[in-house]
Amino acid sequence: MIDPVSVRQGTLDMLILKALSLQPMHGWGIAERIQQMSRDVLKVQQGSLYPALHRLESRGLLDSAWRPSEDNRKAKYYRLTRAGHRLLTTEQAEWERFMTAVQHVMQGA
Amino acid sequence: MSLSRIIVFHLKRIFDRRGVERDLDLELRDHVERETRANIGRGMSEADARRAALIAFGGVQQYKEQIRDTRPLRLLEQVGQDVRFALRTLRRAPAFATVAIVTIALGVGATSAVFTVVTDVLLRPLPFDQADRLYLMSYLPPDFPGGGTAVTDRMCRFYGQTQRSFASTSCYQRTDMTLSGAGAAERLDGARVGAAFFRLLGVRPALGRFFVSGEDAPGSARVAVVSDRVWRERFGSDPHVVGATIALDGSRYTVVGVAPAGLRFPVSTDIWTPLVITLDPRNTLLVRLLGRLKGGVGPEQARAELAAIGRSMGRDPRDHGPRSVAKIASLKSVVTGGVQRELAIFTGAVVLVLFIAGVNLANLLLIRASARRREIALRASLGASRRRVLGQLLTESALVSGAGGALGVFVALAGVRALRVIAPDGAIPRLQEVRVDTPVIGFALAVAVATGILFGLVPALESARADLTRGLALGTRVIGRSQTRLRGRFVIAELALAFVLLMAAGLMVASFARMRRVDTGYDAAGVTTMSVDLPTTDYPTAEQVRLFHTRVLGRLAAIPGVQSVGAVSWRPMGAMGIMGDFGVQGETPRPKGYLVDKPTVSPGYFRAMGIRVIEGRDFTNADAANAPGVAIVSESVARSVWPGQSAVGKRITMEEHPGPADWLTVVGVVRDVVQDEGFTPHSAIYLPYLQMEALAFINHMTYVVRTPPGGASVAGAMRAALGEVGPGVPAEALQTMNASMLDLVSGFVFQTTLLGTFSLLALVLAAIGTYGVLSYDVAERTREIGIRMALGASSPRVLRMIVGRTLVLAGIGLAIGVLGAFGATRALTRYLFGVGPSDPATFAATALLLIGVALAAASVPAWRASHVDPVIALREE
Repeated sequence: MIDPVSVRQGTLDMLILKALSLQPMHGWGIAERIQQMSRDVLKVQQGSLYPALHRLESRGLLDSAWRPSEDNRKAKYYRLTRAGHRLLTTEQAEWERFMTAVQHVMQGA
Repeated sequence: MSLSRIIVFHLKRIFDRRGVERDLDLELRDHVERETRANIGRGMSEADARRAALIAFGGVQQYKEQIRDTRPLRLLEQVGQDVRFALRTLRRAPAFATVAIVTIALGVGATSAVFTVVTDVLLRPLPFDQADRLYLMSYLPPDFPGGGTAVTDRMCRFYGQTQRSFASTSCYQRTDMTLSGAGAAERLDGARVGAAFFRLLGVRPALGRFFVSGEDAPGSARVAVVSDRVWRERFGSDPHVVGATIALDGSRYTVVGVAPAGLRFPVSTDIWTPLVITLDPRNTLLVRLLGRLKGGVGPEQARAELAAIGRSMGRDPRDHGPRSVAKIASLKSVVTGGVQRELAIFTGAVVLVLFIAGVNLANLLLIRASARRREIALRASLGASRRRVLGQLLTESALVSGAGGALGVFVALAGVRALRVIAPDGAIPRLQEVRVDTPVIGFALAVAVATGILFGLVPALESARADLTRGLALGTRVIGRSQTRLRGRFVIAELALAFVLLMAAGLMVASFARMRRVDTGYDAAGVTTMSVDLPTTDYPTAEQVRLFHTRVLGRLAAIPGVQSVGAVSWRPMGAMGIMGDFGVQGETPRPKGYLVDKPTVSPGYFRAMGIRVIEGRDFTNADAANAPGVAIVSESVARSVWPGQSAVGKRITMEEHPGPADWLTVVGVVRDVVQDEGFTPHSAIYLPYLQMEALAFINHMTYVVRTPPGGASVAGAMRAALGEVGPGVPAEALQTMNASMLDLVSGFVFQTTLLGTFSLLALVLAAIGTYGVLSYDVAERTREIGIRMALGASSPRVLRMIVGRTLVLAGIGLAIGVLGAFGATRALTRYLFGVGPSDPATFAATALLLIGVALAAASVPAWRASHVDPVIALREE
């Protein structure tokens, strides 16, 4: 299992943004979703999750609100803002470039 | 908009910290709950599930710390913490806080006061419409005596008609006028101005109107504008003052307007009348020429045009002197120019004072930090980084100096007010425009906080650097060698700076003493003078004027206690005089351009004034209207015109084309007298008033009365005597000759007083610093001293130790101060009189003063050290 934080700075941020791009979610749900979407490869280090969420919120990329969750308990839901959507697009593009570059290096002679 | 979202987020974190914390708590707890349930779902028992969830989560406290750690807010929260902490600790050390705050207040207050004056006087534009377009023109021969920036009346008329550089021009002239007809007769500063004058300045009347064109033509109705001050004080702010009739110098004038408050241009003018230029072929009037440049025209252009106009105007055929030179100067530079250098000196002095105050603060902080070594070490061990400790110490010093700055604003206010009171008229131009307002307050606070941080930096760095663990372990027994050295260096710096200031002030004081001892040529002790100005309307003929003076002199001689009386048209050290040329019979050529004073005097004047008659005789009452014309020359005239011979019996004339009756015989030679603050003796040719036909030479007269020095004042009796002869004629400048001389040097006295105040302030601050440092040294070394005494050191020995350290500090400070003074006092050279910038006597006196004060400051700590009880000292921890 790879801790995505150590791979590249901001990777975790990007994964969170992606996870929330489909639907607002609370913190625990985001971690679950990332694990699901990565087919169990990426398990978010919980010590990094909430600092990342709060950081993203302080930059205005996420919005939060307390809502009753599926089991009627109140949970803090996060959702992407418009700025967050925009950043996700650019981050995704950056990531593709990064990946292609690494690939070239590894496959090059 | 996401920006507002961000702002709201951060604001919530500052103002609702508890709410945010609670939020976070709930969120994390919720997470753990879900993880637990998920674990149970995976088959763990409840207890295991929960434990696993918590372990996966990690340490909650550090977690919370991490979440809280968003950089921009961190700083703000830290500062808030530091401020609260600093306030608490300062409250527990009131003595330190008070001394520090007062020190900074004095330094910052003085600096702010000087800064206000400098900016308002030098930098702020004059209170006129587009004042930077106003210029004064000058067209005079170089080195014209008493000249400056002026043109002749002919030039004024001619230039006004032909010039094209200025949108408008106006000539003006300052003059004194006696105002009567609305209360007691009063002598006012007035100005005669061209009709376009006020329009040129761009000011509007507060009441009524200003002059209109044509009112400055000869023969037009006499009108006047009064100042706001006169309107308030003499006319009681009466709105019907417009149209009122007043008498100026005996002539009737109608008031047509009141100037706006604050307009006293030129200088302290209270009344304006039109300047009527009648080109008198015998006398040339000097006036100032003011103009407002047209847009797009530069001053150099205007100057060149003036030079061209001057050339085309042609020269006066009688004028054999050097050609006139065209000059142009901005109005602002003429008004404030004279004072730039002085203000620079004051600024330098006050910055030194501020420095000393800052160093004092640094010292105090260092001492305090020493005492709090343990506390700082404890905080460091609890996890405070070096940066945090530094931040906290700096916050403390910034707080103290900020409070000092706020207090300093009041000091500045008081300082400016005091300045307005003690500054003699004209010493600082535009002083009435100076006010302490928001920019100054901002400046004061900024300087204070900057000083606090700057001078707090070194002590803070020192304490933060200090070996913290040693501090904890060994308690107060750690002596902190480097800190002692640092404090010593601070004291040296203070003493050096104080020395520089003291030296500067000392040189000024020495100059003043020299000035007073100058041989003026007359003896001022016991001399009282009274001046009158007889208006030509009431006294139109020379005979009437002469009769007036004769009668007054008679009455004055009758006053009991009077030893001798006399009169002179323009007294020495007065503001004005008449100078001119003269002719000599025979082939003896006079030095070219040799101008002499031409006072008109009464018989007995020389005795009354204490001017020695070297040869020949004084005038007598026999030298009257029908007797042969006589004159008395001063010794320099005799020497330069008839070297090696006696001047008595020679013939001279005051006329350009003398007829037979115009030749005067020299009957006496007297000593030269000093006429002005240059303290150089002037050449003069005296004429007897009884033979004087020219009104201009006798309608202003100063009566001189000599009484035994130290006796009662005769001023009242003199005024009464004048009142018997001329009831409507006000007595002017009724004061002792000593007081007049002080008036003359009032500017100098003012400068010296200011410098002296600054230097004393510096000395006091340095003394406080020295005392503080030595006190602390002694307190710190109590144990060591106790050991020494227990081992046999006697009290005097310990005393010598402390005194020795003081002398070393003072000595080094003195040495550095001397070096600094060498450079700094150069700037004073032009103000010094009779002493050089490195005058040894002043230097020795100042050095002794400094060392004396340092020793005095050390006396109490030294006494305390020598009375340390070894038993108690050793018991102390």
